[in-house]
Amino acid sequence: MQIIRDRAIVDDDFVHVPDGAELPEAGKPIVTLAHYARARETLLARYPTVGVRVPSDKLPTDIPELARVALVAIEFPKFTDGRGYTVGRMLRERHAFRGELRAVGWVLRDQLRYLERCGFNAFELKPGKPLESALEAFDELAGTYQAAVDDPRPIYRRR
Amino acid sequence: MTGNFTEDGAVAWRRADGTWARQIAEAGLFVDEPTAKAAATRAAAQEQREICDPYGIEVHAEGGAIDPLTARQRIRANGPTIRLRRPDGER
Amino acid sequence: MYQYDDYDRRIIVERAQQFRGQVARRLTGEITEEEFKPLRLQNGLYMQLHAYMLRVAIPYGLLSSTQVRKLAHIARTYDRGYGHLTTRQNIQYNWPKLTDVPAILDELASVEMHAVQTSGNCVRNITADHFAGIARDELEDPRPYCEILRQWSTFHPEFAHLPRKFKIAMTGAPGNDRAAVRFHDIGVRIVENAQGERGFEVLVGGGMGRTPLIGEVIREFLPKPHLLSYIESILRVYNLHGRRDNKYKARIKILVSALGIDEFRRRVDEDWEASRTPALELPDAEVARVSAFFAPPPYQVLPADDQVGVIQLGRDRVLGNWVSNNVDAHKVPGYSAVVISVKQPGIPPGDVSDTQLDAIADIADRYSFGHVVVTHTQNLVLPDVRTSELPRLHAELRALDLGEANANKITDVITCPGLDYCDLANARSIPLSLEIAARFDRVDYLNDVGDVSIKISGCINACGHHHVGNIGILGIDKRGEEFYQLMLGGSPGNDASIGKILGRALAQDEIVDAVEKVLDRYLEIRESPDERFLDAVRRVGFDPFKVAVYGSADPLDAGGD
Repeated sequence: MQIIRDRAIVDDDFVHVPDGAELPEAGKPIVTLAHYARARETLLARYPTVGVRVPSDKLPTDIPELARVALVAIEFPKFTDGRGYTVGRMLRERHAFRGELRAVGWVLRDQLRYLERCGFNAFELKPGKPLESALEAFDELAGTYQAAVDDPRPIYRRR
Repeated sequence: MTGNFTEDGAVAWRRADGTWARQIAEAGLFVDEPTAKAAATRAAAQEQREICDPYGIEVHAEGGAIDPLTARQRIRANGPTIRLRRPDGER
Repeated sequence: MYQYDDYDRRIIVERAQQFRGQVARRLTGEITEEEFKPLRLQNGLYMQLHAYMLRVAIPYGLLSSTQVRKLAHIARTYDRGYGHLTTRQNIQYNWPKLTDVPAILDELASVEMHAVQTSGNCVRNITADHFAGIARDELEDPRPYCEILRQWSTFHPEFAHLPRKFKIAMTGAPGNDRAAVRFHDIGVRIVENAQGERGFEVLVGGGMGRTPLIGEVIREFLPKPHLLSYIESILRVYNLHGRRDNKYKARIKILVSALGIDEFRRRVDEDWEASRTPALELPDAEVARVSAFFAPPPYQVLPADDQVGVIQLGRDRVLGNWVSNNVDAHKVPGYSAVVISVKQPGIPPGDVSDTQLDAIADIADRYSFGHVVVTHTQNLVLPDVRTSELPRLHAELRALDLGEANANKITDVITCPGLDYCDLANARSIPLSLEIAARFDRVDYLNDVGDVSIKISGCINACGHHHVGNIGILGIDKRGEEFYQLMLGGSPGNDASIGKILGRALAQDEIVDAVEKVLDRYLEIRESPDERFLDAVRRVGFDPFKVAVYGSADPLDAGGD
């Protein structure tokens, strides 16, 4: 599958592992938060790189040992569910999360710019949506007023 | 079945042949709810580019005249009930 | 007023470009109506009953004459020759084509205007006291802070998909709230603490709609530099914890009342301590930069004699009556604030034509330093008129059918668009206000009844602010037909209260009769002509009015709805 990572279209090197599904032999699994919370020592011992898929109603403090996680995938059950934007900012700004922060679920091109400003660097678009033209969205609304992950200075410190 | 035209938002009524009209008088009728619902689902999927949010409404039809049962749909069919003139009249 | 710099201009131009692309993708079918809807809403574009509706933002209600002319041009070129002033100090057009909207946004951008976030589940237009900057009872002009908040809220990446819409209002006149700050998601009052320092009192969780609530104080005194960081923490707690399972329980007021104000405050403070950085603090230099745009215009030094009183007592009774009702005191001697009534008999409240808008722009240039303010009561204000010019101005306004002397009187009705236009409405509102205007079009009766606010909403969403009308009317749907509930006792100001339903819902041909019966009963029972309608209702309660309307105070006769 192809995703957008750091403003480029790339082949996804991770694989989602739903709850109860078989783990891959090797590679980079993205497991559910429940799975990770239950078996993180085993997972972290077996795979050098582990991603965690987080439901939209969870907070960064619900992810144990965040520093050992390589990727956090935040679920957007609907594109109008905006909790993930806040969670993304918290992960980057308060928990110093440096790994891949990926938006998954109902993700559309018109969310990409705001998601990026809130700290997301990877995006799985809703199936069927074109990736190539979605890249244009990163250059829309380039001017900003607020402090966010992309720039901690509000407009009045940059004007 | 009714909805609004995507291009200008005008009220749309589905003709019996599946095309869309601007006058309720041209609307096709469904005699039972399952047929109407099936057609609405089909239109919502296939014609969403041309028509926004199609749905069925109940009407009273007699002698060729089609009269919606609710105040909302009567106003949609006939336009605002207030006089739509420029507030300063003819000037 | 505020002038865009290159930075502000670029942001608005980029938005218009972006929306042009979104419209194109909708028209080709690349995105569905379901996916387009939140995009168009964040640009103020609704689908109404008969057409699209475009709501244009008027930040804190302030317009230049150049902007007013542009609004006239848009009405003439892209709509049906009129616009509609809204209860959030905006203007909306009822008939734009989707294919024209990108061009309209370009036109707006050319005069530093936009339709950004006038709808959708995001931070909406910031509203303010319509007498900001000129009121005698004002501590400090709130508009610089409103502009700072406008910029902060514009395309805020974290808060574009809140559980529900979010409205902020501000007043700098703590003793006389004309901005209904207690009925907003966040209300801000500029106040002075015991040490004589200026800061903000912050209220949260007020609102109308299905569950009307009066906002509660979350912070009594917020030092000015922390305005944005603190409001951001309120929004963050709401974004994470507000309900998303039921749109009628999704506003912040429901979260605040579910948690209780103390627990809500604790969560906000916790977030605030974790998130605020020195960079977020508002520097004095930025406040000074923005405030400079709101510096007083070059007033002449004029004597402080009572010219208003002279006109009121003069031979021209029509003029005197207009001055008594529509002219307000100004902080500068020799100047007055003029309310232009946009409540003319036969015309939907708040509707202004392109020719009227053009004429108002000219009048603003000649009489009021080129400024016009939209009020949340759907009227216009000329903020800085020389009192000696009131007679000439009044003659000009009358020639435009804008000289009605009914500000704050019973024919100055606030009305939502209702079922004539609105997809959400249950009943029509405009025909009622037209009937009220026709029924009570008698100067003596209007003045005898005095200041009474009538507010009409066509559904529970309360765009017509019926909960805070001295007399409130709410349209409801009964088996597909229109009915109306009558409420008494609401007030949006410092004496905030929520109106209560008087009795059973009334049919369309009963409701204006009922209003007349209520007013007639008030005239009978008031202790003196100085006792306002609202005070009389608060003193005697509902029973006399129930008897007047329903023939009995018995809840079985009056109630049962």
